[in-house]
Amino acid sequence: MEAMKVDSESRLLQRKQCAYESLDETFGIQKEIYKGQQYSHIYFTRLRSMRTLLYMLLPNWKPLLPVCTVLGLEEGKECIIVGTLYKHMKLKPSILDEYSKERSPVPLVQPHNFIHPDDYLILEDESGRVKIRGDAVLPSAYVTGVVAALHGKETGDGSFLVEDVLEAGLPHQVERPIISGEDKYVVFVSGLSVGGSSSNPLQYQLFVDHITGHLGDEKEQSIAAEIVQVVIAGNSVEMHHGLLNGQSLGMKELNRMSESIKELDILLSQIAAGIPVDIMPGPDDPANFALPQQPLHRCLFRGSSAYNTFRSCTNPHSFTLDGIRFLGTSGQNIDDLEKYSDAKDKLEFMERTLRWRHLAPTAPNTLGCYPFTDRDPFFIETCPHVYFIGNQEKYETRVTKGTEGQIVRHICIPRFSETGVAVVLNLRNLECHTLSFKIEFDTELEEEMKNRKNAHD
Amino acid sequence: MAEIETIGILDEIQALVSDRLQVVSYKWLSRNFLVSSNVAKKLLQEFVEKHGAGLEVVYSLSGWLKTNPSTYHIRLVSQSKLAEAKEEFDNNCSLQVYSVQSCLPKDPAVLWNSEFVQAEELFKQPPDVDNCFRDNRFCGILNSFVKRTAGGGTNASTSTPQAKSTGVLGQSRNTSAKHPALAPPMQKKFQQSSPSISLHSPDVVKDVKNDSHSTGTHEQNVKPNESKGKVPQLPVNKKKGPNDKNSSGTTGALANMWGQASAKSKAENFAANSKDSLPNSTASADAQICALEDREYDDSDDDITIKRAPNGEATRKRRVVFDYSDEEDDESKEPITLASPDLPKMEPVLGSKQSSKSSDLEKDKLRLDEKKEEGPSVKKRKEAETKTNQTLKEESSTLSKATNTNTSSLEGNVNHVSAIGTNVKEKRRKVLKTRIDERGREVTEVVWEGDEADAKPDCQEVKNIDMTSANASNRLPVKKSPAVGMNAPANQAGKAGNKKAGIKDPKQGNILSFFKKV
Repeated sequence: MEAMKVDSESRLLQRKQCAYESLDETFGIQKEIYKGQQYSHIYFTRLRSMRTLLYMLLPNWKPLLPVCTVLGLEEGKECIIVGTLYKHMKLKPSILDEYSKERSPVPLVQPHNFIHPDDYLILEDESGRVKIRGDAVLPSAYVTGVVAALHGKETGDGSFLVEDVLEAGLPHQVERPIISGEDKYVVFVSGLSVGGSSSNPLQYQLFVDHITGHLGDEKEQSIAAEIVQVVIAGNSVEMHHGLLNGQSLGMKELNRMSESIKELDILLSQIAAGIPVDIMPGPDDPANFALPQQPLHRCLFRGSSAYNTFRSCTNPHSFTLDGIRFLGTSGQNIDDLEKYSDAKDKLEFMERTLRWRHLAPTAPNTLGCYPFTDRDPFFIETCPHVYFIGNQEKYETRVTKGTEGQIVRHICIPRFSETGVAVVLNLRNLECHTLSFKIEFDTELEEEMKNRKNAHD
Repeated sequence: MAEIETIGILDEIQALVSDRLQVVSYKWLSRNFLVSSNVAKKLLQEFVEKHGAGLEVVYSLSGWLKTNPSTYHIRLVSQSKLAEAKEEFDNNCSLQVYSVQSCLPKDPAVLWNSEFVQAEELFKQPPDVDNCFRDNRFCGILNSFVKRTAGGGTNASTSTPQAKSTGVLGQSRNTSAKHPALAPPMQKKFQQSSPSISLHSPDVVKDVKNDSHSTGTHEQNVKPNESKGKVPQLPVNKKKGPNDKNSSGTTGALANMWGQASAKSKAENFAANSKDSLPNSTASADAQICALEDREYDDSDDDITIKRAPNGEATRKRRVVFDYSDEEDDESKEPITLASPDLPKMEPVLGSKQSSKSSDLEKDKLRLDEKKEEGPSVKKRKEAETKTNQTLKEESSTLSKATNTNTSSLEGNVNHVSAIGTNVKEKRRKVLKTRIDERGREVTEVVWEGDEADAKPDCQEVKNIDMTSANASNRLPVKKSPAVGMNAPANQAGKAGNKKAGIKDPKQGNILSFFKKV
């Protein structure tokens, strides 16, 4: 009785709502066919679309210079060439190395990444390719697959000496709607690794309890009530791949395999019962490997897929909330850039992809990618307001401003299982803060140690 | 009274913690004693104050950190570290009891274990049960836009647009004609079975009411349903059509009710129906996926489907509509093949005789004869039943409705569609013709073209057969459980028939299309 009374006394908070629109169509693969098509189509369409873009920018950049193809280069004549960069890398692992009889002089595995001072860039268009020299273009900052315009001249040894470089730059941004007064939060989390050895179930349970409004006093719950969307950016589950040995599994193993998925399903049901949740597949999830990763099948989530708030999304994932545009991945594109190029932090990689107007320039070279024949889905046509990547070591965020006044919030979402940190974005002003969870109490072990100490004393 | 109850709970906590050495967390408490989380926390607090001595208490501390103001930190701490931990927080942090146990576990996950076991049990309950785990009713934040479909995820897609509610998608929903067909039967069911639901239904209703427009439509729906019973079927259906069209908002909630009220199998079946219809409105990939899943469900539980014959018809129609509206389907094959099943639905109701005649392909002649004879009788029976049985009326009404909606939605788009509509009213001849045309066009197999009478789709025949046979042989069951009978999906029958005939039937077309899309 008293419980009832108390219930009626404490008025329930209302969760705020938000207009959601999915923009994932470009990342969907409607009729996946592997009929032996090669990846050249992607590069072709990429070069074509980027080149028209760059040609439009050239008059503003260097109006007086002629534009040449690689084949049309003449020695000593200054011109502009537009093409796809290819980065020749000494250390780039090749499957052939493993088959070569003599050990290659370079070690197969490098501690950090595959960058070597001897790396150089090659520019390629339909007519040919030319080696690039010059300090204006640092090989370490570029990767294979980027399309750029170069200003320079051919030198005697057949290479192209670059004086200046033009990238496509940040795409046009739709103006951000002004949301006044109201705070609305979007929570990003990645790397839950449910069922994994490293993850602490209590930690993500706390996370769920907080955002769904179980934990804390009324004040805390009033903050939680302003969360309008949860985005899970990949690696939500850790499968016991060790069980797979190429043979059919027994009932027991099958159950063990599905255990972690079920646990995740329970977790997601709890979230979905309170908040709209988007789940993206990540590199360790039971989804396809090649980008764009297709939505995790609803069959995996029997419980949570019953909610209208549950959405299974593609891996590069794009959507709008109240007119604010989001774009994000589970981290593969940036992780791959890190292997093949250099920057001071992850955010810089992210900024570069926006400037290159390409979400994953290293696909299909070093990043798995579906062989599209008619389009390049990773071409960024519209500048997002929020650009996030999942599964990073630590939380980082920064706001970047573009030349046309674009404002982009970049977010690196840390792995939750390792850090216990989720990222919260305020839709009103694109400010970010973190939600961190920690469990800390004296375990018996510690007490024992103390006791022993005391005993010794 | 209240005092006694809380004291009872406190005693129970005492017993659990000290005798059974169990971890009692606030969430476990709230689910176990069906109180809200906030109350559970207060109870635990009270318990700690009264009986806390000698027990270990874990507190949850949350607030902004002093050192890093852009971090909202949530921490579980033991009693001994509480003061120390509090130092790190901003002044007004919240402090609450998280759990009570006899000793602190080495692995903090133990705190979570009992709670998880409990959650798992709730999670495992049949999908049409709405428990506190599923609707999150014990949290401090209400989200009325969350809808859950009982059928195991089938309807999710329907309600999604509502959640988006902000009106972006609303229009498309309203135009979809499928919902109406589904809604009335569900409601009736709900009404009939309402006593059993009584516990949960209020919640649902609340949800519905939150959508301002939906409430109105809800009421509208209810009224027509009630009136239906007295009015002749066809006119009622027509009237309903427009009303129902507006009712897009309610369907989700209705589906919920339906799911709660009816047995699992029914719920699934219905969910499947609704799913099939949904894609039209949303046309989203999700919906399509859902539809596929539903079909899978249907396939999987054979026992359920076998029992019901006629209801499946309704589903069929809807399915047809859906495929039609799907603009993504560039292949003409699919719509046509899909369209064929529609006709069969109508025929059983209007005149099962002729259809049965044509069905010499699969069934014995003896059977056919029986059917012929029984066909008319079936009709009569139906009519009789409609008078006596509300549910039967529902069925028929839903059927006719479905047809109406079908025609209305599709009119003007394609000529054969309209032909179907006319067929419905004028009976078979035209139907046959159109059928043939469609077949000829879309289905490349020549087998069927040979005899015009036979040209009717196999599945149709099968359905008819099933209907008649069911009616003839098991009258009692039909009457007793009209709903079941009606629901008895022609799907099943259709499948079986198709398999027998070895033809590419609509089903297969659907699945294929799914794969193509995905």
